[in-house]
Amino acid sequence: MTGVDLLAGVDEPGRRGDSPLARSRRNTELSLVVMAALITGSAYTIAALGTNAEIPPGIVVFVAFLLGLLLFAHLVVRYVARGADGTLLPLAALLHGIGFVMITRLDDELAGLQATWSLIGIAVFVGTLLVVQRAGDLARYKWLLFFFGAGLLLLPMLPGLGRNINGARIWVSLGPINFQPGEFAKIALAIFFAAYLAERRELIAASTWKVGPLHLPEPRYIAPILVAWGFAVVVMVGERDLGSSLLFFTLFVVMLWVATERVGYLLLGLVLFAGAAYFSWTQFSHVQTRVDIWIDPWSRSLDRGYQIVQSLYGLSDGGLTGTGLGRGNPNQVPEAQNDFIFASIGEEMGLIGGSAIIMSYLLIVGAGLRTALRSDRPFEKLLAVGLTTIIGVQAFIIIGGVIKVVPLTGITLPFVSYGGSSLIANYILLALLIRVSDSAARRLGELPDDPTISERWRAAQLARRNRRAARRGLPTAATDAPTIDPDAAIGDDPLATS
Amino acid sequence: MNRQIRQLAAGLILCYVVLFVALNFWQVGQKEELDARFDNTRAVLREFNKPRGPIVTADGVVVARSLTNPPGSDFEFSRDYPAGDLLSNVTGYFTLAFGSTQVEREYGDVLTGSTAAQQIRGLGDLLGGDVDNTGSVQLTLRHDAQTAARFFLAGREGSVVVVEVETGAVVAMWSNPSYDPNTFVNEDFEVARDVISELQEADGNPLLANAYQERYMPGSTFKMITTGIGLETGALTLDSQFDRVREWVPPQTDDPIQNYRGSQCGGDLAEVFRRSCNIPFAQTAVAIGPEGMIAGTRAWGLDEELPIDLPRPAGSTFGNTTDLDQNLPLLAIRGFGQNEDQMVPLHMALVAGAIANGGQMMKPYVVDATFDHNGSALDRTSPEVWKTPLSPQNASIITDLMIGVAESGTASCCIALEGGIPVAAKTGTADLGLGGGVDQVHAWIVAFAPADDPEYVVSVVLTNLESTAAEAATGGRLAGPVAKGVLDFLLTGDGAG
Repeated sequence: MTGVDLLAGVDEPGRRGDSPLARSRRNTELSLVVMAALITGSAYTIAALGTNAEIPPGIVVFVAFLLGLLLFAHLVVRYVARGADGTLLPLAALLHGIGFVMITRLDDELAGLQATWSLIGIAVFVGTLLVVQRAGDLARYKWLLFFFGAGLLLLPMLPGLGRNINGARIWVSLGPINFQPGEFAKIALAIFFAAYLAERRELIAASTWKVGPLHLPEPRYIAPILVAWGFAVVVMVGERDLGSSLLFFTLFVVMLWVATERVGYLLLGLVLFAGAAYFSWTQFSHVQTRVDIWIDPWSRSLDRGYQIVQSLYGLSDGGLTGTGLGRGNPNQVPEAQNDFIFASIGEEMGLIGGSAIIMSYLLIVGAGLRTALRSDRPFEKLLAVGLTTIIGVQAFIIIGGVIKVVPLTGITLPFVSYGGSSLIANYILLALLIRVSDSAARRLGELPDDPTISERWRAAQLARRNRRAARRGLPTAATDAPTIDPDAAIGDDPLATS
Repeated sequence: MNRQIRQLAAGLILCYVVLFVALNFWQVGQKEELDARFDNTRAVLREFNKPRGPIVTADGVVVARSLTNPPGSDFEFSRDYPAGDLLSNVTGYFTLAFGSTQVEREYGDVLTGSTAAQQIRGLGDLLGGDVDNTGSVQLTLRHDAQTAARFFLAGREGSVVVVEVETGAVVAMWSNPSYDPNTFVNEDFEVARDVISELQEADGNPLLANAYQERYMPGSTFKMITTGIGLETGALTLDSQFDRVREWVPPQTDDPIQNYRGSQCGGDLAEVFRRSCNIPFAQTAVAIGPEGMIAGTRAWGLDEELPIDLPRPAGSTFGNTTDLDQNLPLLAIRGFGQNEDQMVPLHMALVAGAIANGGQMMKPYVVDATFDHNGSALDRTSPEVWKTPLSPQNASIITDLMIGVAESGTASCCIALEGGIPVAAKTGTADLGLGGGVDQVHAWIVAFAPADDPEYVVSVVLTNLESTAAEAATGGRLAGPVAKGVLDFLLTGDGAG
């Protein structure tokens, strides 16, 4: 399907300068997005047939609406990030669609809410793409983002605002709205890490501070980031959000390792992790419980191990091909629509469906890291690594927890699980990844590096001012301002070190 | 940094490979072990959440049905048994944690619409928007006949079975004590478990359908079989004469056999059958010999399971037959239904049914037909002959003997039917020996009517009665009125159609 130019003849800005490769990416994305919509629509119909034995009355409206929404997102990408990888949006749409079908099948009431969240999610995706037109701009706001992220993490601790749900204090209630600020905090902090490390990575890697046989980075370079990281981990452990702590820890260690190119940080991270894990295992009963259940859920299959045992029974009942959508009993697993949604998919869509989900995440990871490789700027490289690590590791932690590969920690399955905060945050993340990918393609010369909308506006303003000034015979403004010449590489990037 | 990014990619791929392997492990490798675990209720649950059709009696009363629970309940449906304990021994029950029994079990796939025929028929309807694919089961049992059986047994321990003579269709099959499935089918696990274990330990075994799952010493009703074998083998004819004696010493012993309560009894076949003398039938059994009696009782279906369309039927038995030729006194006693003879109440109805049906014993069945959700039949049971122990001539001879019993023999007190409808009967009083200083007996009667054109055969047993010299518990006196009541109801009463 990729060879067909579906929008041939449509007039687009700067399209004539695009390489065929960049052009085919958008058409690939279009056909894949349509496929994701059709798969979701079919799954939706099958699930309704399986549960109620009737074709859902609004199926045509549903598919039309879904297609419209995804085409809208695609068109926005086509206009403002047309050099980006063409698989990211369709993969997210597929995961989101399958998750939505599963949630509808599990709980009608939640489905309505999730539909609203989906709308908001796409809107936020589009908004993020429009607001962040240059990935590099984000680096300027690193400290703002750090305090924003830290503040978000602290919010649930505030009395009157924070809420305890299922033993974890990760929720915030503002009037009728409940949300998990941690979902957004991790993106803000990933941006902060990427910016900070891009700026100081060589200084940190230099390790000029000698303590005995160890070569350590200068404390003043590494301290801020250690403080930031320690703060985040302590807060999350305090909120009993083990899954997020683990994710955050991994994110930090991976980014530090990639930035400094020193494997020692990875090893140090492992040692620290082992120490922290052992410490919390001896100190916290809820951690001990998690580990006990992981090692042997069977002897507690009716109380604490119930959830994981039921999850495995569901998976086994599904077998290779699954019970069929709507034909299993995924509601046997408590929280099936949240953390355990992968078990529901495995039960009703079988090993085949579960493997498709795993493959989808792997493809997102692949596209994300390919973006990191293609980018030539450290900040964008690290940002792509960080965002990809968030999605890849988060999906691994929760899928692994559900199928007893790692101890279970409550965390959502990106794009699939029920929940507004998670969905919106992941769409922001996706938009940023697409933005980085687009920037990389432009710098590789695959398409002209047009000025962004805001740059055009600023340039037009400048030109107007210059014209006015010329009329009055005054000197014109500085010439280093953005111009509207499409072939000129523009955009200041003070962080570009290589 | 690119090297690290590639390494990161490799690491993440490895993580996902682990996930894929683990998923294979649980969904394919460990599937059988997981599915078989005791606390895995997925398979049952899948069944439990399917809509389930009704079980209906022959006279159109719904005796098992599914009710839709209000939204938000744990389960979509609850199973309801409107007749309470009346037909639970036939319908059985359907539970989440404790399995299912009887028709609920044997016809589960019809009720849920899972048979191949229903699936294929359902395909067409699916496109038309019709969602219901459940089937229904129609019993041969009649709600009114069952109610009559329960009424006439009047709370005493025992069983009443009514079978249609020409087909073997079971019209009523009631045993007391019974149980009400509504007390546990929709309850929580713990409550259901307690109720069921209480029922399992209760006296008289309410969970067991005693009418076809339990066997009892038959006493003199067994003489129908001995007479039948005697006539078929030629050891007995209508002209056979027996001495009028009080006791008789069989071969291989000095211990004499007595008639009931030591009475003097003898005469021609009609007289000894009518009065139910013991010694003539002991002598007949010895005359037929061990081989003949064993082969003969097998021909009547003893020592094999009853071929009924319900699970776990009992089988009647002639007892342990090894070295029976060395134990002729036992053979003699078994000739009149004592010692190790054991008969299932339903089987006793089939024995009399064979006599009424010209020598052909029909296969008993409780399910008349199954229907899909549109009401068109999936399957109808066609009557089948199970055994042919008698020639038509000999069947008619024994019918005459049994009319004698009803008119002027051991049943004459109590079996005469309304409107003078001719009836044939045989009584039995099985002596279980002393229990707590009093004689323990089972009181039996088997009867069919109209004797000249038999429609129904009824078998009644009242179990574990105490019998005293002042008030002898006999089949004729105690079981007779039950059989009469049921037959009157079916032939001339409210149940006559």
